[in-house]
Amino acid sequence: MDSFIQQLINGITLGGIYALIALGYTMVYGVIQLINFAHGEFFAAGGYVGVIFLSFFTGLGYMETHPIFCLTASFALAMMYCAYLAIGVEKIAYKPLRKEARLAALLSALGVSIFLSNGLMLTQGVYDKAYPSELFQGGFNFGIITIGYLQVLIVCLTGALLVALNLLVFKTKIGMAMRATAQDKTMSALVAIGSNNIISLTFAIGAGLAAAAGIMVGLYYGSVRYDMGFLPGIKAFSAAVLGGIGNITGAMLGGLIIGMVEIFGAGYISGEYKDVFAFIILIGVLYFKPTGIMGENIDDTRV
Amino acid sequence: MSKKNFSIMVMAIITTLFIISASSAESLKIGSMSPLTGPYASDGTDIKNGVLTAIEVFEKQEGGIPGYDKIELFPQDDVCDPRNAVAAANKLINLKVVGVIGAYCSSCTIPASETLDEAKIVMITPASTNEQVTDRGLPYMFRMCGRDDDQAPAAAKFMKESLNAKTIFIIDDKTTYSQGLADGVSKNSKALGMNVVTHDHVNQGDKDFSAVLTKVKAANPDILYMSLQGYSPAALMSIQAKRMGIKAQIVTQDATFQPKFMEVAKDAAEGVYLTYGFTDPTTPEYKAFQQIYEPKYGKIAAYATYAYDSTIALLRAIKAAGSTEPDKIKAELMKLDFNGASKHVKFKENGDSGSSYIAFKVQNGQFVPYWDPAKGLIK
Repeated sequence: MDSFIQQLINGITLGGIYALIALGYTMVYGVIQLINFAHGEFFAAGGYVGVIFLSFFTGLGYMETHPIFCLTASFALAMMYCAYLAIGVEKIAYKPLRKEARLAALLSALGVSIFLSNGLMLTQGVYDKAYPSELFQGGFNFGIITIGYLQVLIVCLTGALLVALNLLVFKTKIGMAMRATAQDKTMSALVAIGSNNIISLTFAIGAGLAAAAGIMVGLYYGSVRYDMGFLPGIKAFSAAVLGGIGNITGAMLGGLIIGMVEIFGAGYISGEYKDVFAFIILIGVLYFKPTGIMGENIDDTRV
Repeated sequence: MSKKNFSIMVMAIITTLFIISASSAESLKIGSMSPLTGPYASDGTDIKNGVLTAIEVFEKQEGGIPGYDKIELFPQDDVCDPRNAVAAANKLINLKVVGVIGAYCSSCTIPASETLDEAKIVMITPASTNEQVTDRGLPYMFRMCGRDDDQAPAAAKFMKESLNAKTIFIIDDKTTYSQGLADGVSKNSKALGMNVVTHDHVNQGDKDFSAVLTKVKAANPDILYMSLQGYSPAALMSIQAKRMGIKAQIVTQDATFQPKFMEVAKDAAEGVYLTYGFTDPTTPEYKAFQQIYEPKYGKIAAYATYAYDSTIALLRAIKAAGSTEPDKIKAELMKLDFNGASKHVKFKENGDSGSSYIAFKVQNGQFVPYWDPAKGLIK
């Protein structure tokens, strides 16, 4: 029982990270029907920007005097950096192909992914980069169960970001414009919504969330490396498909499910099969419900 | 003849002249094969750097090879993927290299050596410890590092005699190397009367080990034996084990012998034991290597020293043979008997050069020799 609760906590933490990355896939798909395979690279870039700033602050000694400020600043800077990176990628690699067949943009996305990942390797080196380790070590102990401070931080921050995103999409004018663009670009243009700006904004928000996930992964696991975006990218993509691609709530749910299934598969059956379980669930859902778990009202709530 | 055709013709002549003049400088070609991209890029880059250092030292201090202006290295990237390794081997054959240093992963060395052996090209691996590398009886396959069937008993003996372990939890990540070694440790530990509680597996490239570590915590063994390919997953697992409050002593293997392990795992690395071939860092040979290597590439890591010795051995054999004929090089390799940077180099009939596994302990961010199977605790 104790291990069960511990595994549940592990699953929520991992699932939260997948959910944050999955949102970027699902939002971009909602608006321009493109699977942005470069999305995992925004996550990796976020992790790197985070380690660069956190090490910088630690070097200056601010980390000990103003930890909250340093952490907030690092998150903000990394999220902004990745947002601009994503807007740039969209302008260079996807916008010129928007009128072409969908396959062209998809291939372009794959190319961007390889380009960014190798760019990270060449500029940052092939070795792991360690996060400053003094941050949030330790945790709460209840008998055999340990909840790390970082796990609490990840779950809280993920929750807060998800709530903020939901408010943005469903309660503001900008969110309404995004939903309108997702439904019909021509029609929304007629009521004076600049679809190019909205598409840029969608990329920026998705990449910002991925960057936040990147820093959290760096803090939680202690290091980042240039190829860290690939596997979580694939898993988060599966999560988005599982939840119903284009659906924000679905992406969150999909992320949590994939995280849980992985942890419980590894914990109760065998560690080597954890990816297999995650993808069996995916195949099963797609077989019986091809639109994904939450994919039904795809027309009015998708972004 | 039109003006355009004429200019093309002139350009063709000029280019041809350049090609001729370029090829008149004769270079001896050797190849290296290791992962330069992908998850093991860091370990593969160490190997390439070791080879480059050896070429530099050999040209400067031993005057290169008579008849050749320089020694040229063709580093190949195998990404630790058997298919890429065979493709790299074919490319090296087409380049007509005289010898190959590599590969890193046993799963690459084994298929690549079959291809190279058909072309009669000498291959010396600095890092592949799986038994099958030399047990297949390929005539041109040599090995500078130790063997897993020497490493596994050494590790088991260490856990039994020095750590007084009774229960062991083994985790591997299913590569030819890591799983082979984990099986060996499991077998040897049982033979010594220790109880292997569980032998679990994770996947290559995993970052999250919380699920399997929760099992370790519940099982509460004396030892957590990590058999993972590369320092990176080992560092991640150590950090997560420490955070979870796992009391088991962590013991690991040669792939973790990388200063980056301590850099990433920091406090979590302290007190971790691992088995690795004994290298005396006070010998003049090691210092000569260190002097050239460290200013250029940073701290000496895992297999750089073995890669250096492999290259020196190959170049000395080619020089002594006075030709690039494979059988003459092989004969000279068998005659070699010298003090290398990593150890005393003397190849056996099967291509091995002996193992010298001892246990190291991480103390204050350094790998400190701790226990020798023959002599016990090292003071």
